[in-house]
Amino acid sequence: MTSGVAIVGVGHSGFSPIVAGLSYKELMFEAAQRAYDDAGVHPRRDVDSFVCCSEDFLEGTSIFDEYVPDQLGAVQRPVQTVSGDGLFGVATAVMLIRSGVARVVAVEAHSKASDIGSLGGIELFAMDPVLNRPLGVSPLAVAGLEMNAYLERTGLTEEHCAMVVAKNRRNALDNPRAAYPADVGERQVAESSPLFWPLKELEVARRADGCVVLVLASGELAPELTEAPVWVLGCGWSSGSASLESRTWGEADFVRRAADMAYGQAGIDDPSEVVDLAEVDDTFAFKELEHLEALRLAQAGEIAEMLESGEVETDGELPVNASGGSLGQGHLFEAGGLARTMECVEQLRGEAGQRQVEAVDVAVAQSWRGVPTTSAAVVVLGTGEG
Amino acid sequence: MLDKLTDPALVRRWGGEIPVRHRYTPGLAGEAFFTALRDRGVLLGSRCEACEYIYVPCRLFCERCFAELTADTEVGPGGTLESFAIGYVDVEGEPLDEPVTVGLVMPDGADAVLFHFIVEQGEEPLEIGMRVEVVLRPPGERTASILDIVGFQPAAG
Ligand SMILES: [Zn+2]
Repeated sequence: MTSGVAIVGVGHSGFSPIVAGLSYKELMFEAAQRAYDDAGVHPRRDVDSFVCCSEDFLEGTSIFDEYVPDQLGAVQRPVQTVSGDGLFGVATAVMLIRSGVARVVAVEAHSKASDIGSLGGIELFAMDPVLNRPLGVSPLAVAGLEMNAYLERTGLTEEHCAMVVAKNRRNALDNPRAAYPADVGERQVAESSPLFWPLKELEVARRADGCVVLVLASGELAPELTEAPVWVLGCGWSSGSASLESRTWGEADFVRRAADMAYGQAGIDDPSEVVDLAEVDDTFAFKELEHLEALRLAQAGEIAEMLESGEVETDGELPVNASGGSLGQGHLFEAGGLARTMECVEQLRGEAGQRQVEAVDVAVAQSWRGVPTTSAAVVVLGTGEG
Repeated sequence: MLDKLTDPALVRRWGGEIPVRHRYTPGLAGEAFFTALRDRGVLLGSRCEACEYIYVPCRLFCERCFAELTADTEVGPGGTLESFAIGYVDVEGEPLDEPVTVGLVMPDGADAVLFHFIVEQGEEPLEIGMRVEVVLRPPGERTASILDIVGFQPAAG
């Protein structure tokens, strides 16, 4: 029995508030070089198909998929762009390989956020143009409303959200690629400026430049390419209700569905018994907690105790965002899911350096596309074929 | 390499703007909602019998069961505050002169919420679950837009 697909190479460039001087193409080239080197493949010879994940408005270029082949070694080869987080690209790669269309696939996503001059305007353009956009308020309003509804439902507090910020920024101190490592006290978080109360400045991940490339291969080929294949045990994705009016507020039902799809493929009934490490979306601090519940790694009523007892610390029972998450590594936009996947791969290989978690056999990475979306994807990864 | 640089102005780059203009069609359901709002000052919704769910604004189709719907149900003008948030920054993150409060209001009779301003607050602090009511522009000033609603205010008494 084989799960069919493994990650055989990872590479990144950045992460940094600004990767000075490098264009997005050069960022991608650097990450791709490292990933191909790690996998021991050459893109002109060995990679059958390429999947990029990007959003035109963030790139400042229409039909951006025309601008990706050259720096990946993908000219005159099958290339496609998924307008979504990198984990949707992983899902596409898994399908390409399992369907027999390709044996080796490269997946890429990046952020050149420092090039964006009017990010707020772009995010506002994601709001419904007739019902919501005319109000002219920052889309952070959606995050503030969701946070208030989430805290109301669960009984968790702003202090618990501040603990997430402190943990993730501190975890980032052990991650050489993190853009925002820091010792931040919970009190500092509480006293940071309100943006859309209850959401405060230090609870929002700051943007960073960076790129991540993964190389995936079929089950037959993977053991030939690497001694330490990391198997994709399951991969799921889902959307909630698109509209602010009819969606479920205060819980991430779309993450739950994506997770159940991935766990189902992996044959996992109770993830809280099986998962050793979780890298989850923390674009806003409260989202880490909301997503842990949706991933069925914690009940809402257990989360306060998990935070207070240190269970979610790197040396705890269930390390969450040992990488530093987006709060510590930087908000990488469509590359967020791949950054979390890369962390899982390094942890499963035992290559995570100072932040290495002990005895990791199964890890989960999850992404969310940010406000105002309800799009999520989840991958379950393991050292065994499952 | 200037790696941990944080000021984009210090890096060589070429400026660009995307002049984006667009016209959005509100559709048959949107037309019904905004016309009812402008001409009669009511919030129009759509009931899905199969799902026992009432949408607001009204819709041509049910997202839960794919049934075709009509604009058949008036909801509000009172409602319940399901969540609220207080904004201190504008769209690009610059401080606002005055904070702005937004809320999610479930109009009486509806199962969906409206995203709008919370206005005319008194001494009592806002609370999730409190009663609110819609505030409309005067009839002569309405233009058949979501801004015909000024916002929601805490209900009297
Ligand atoms: Zn229905």
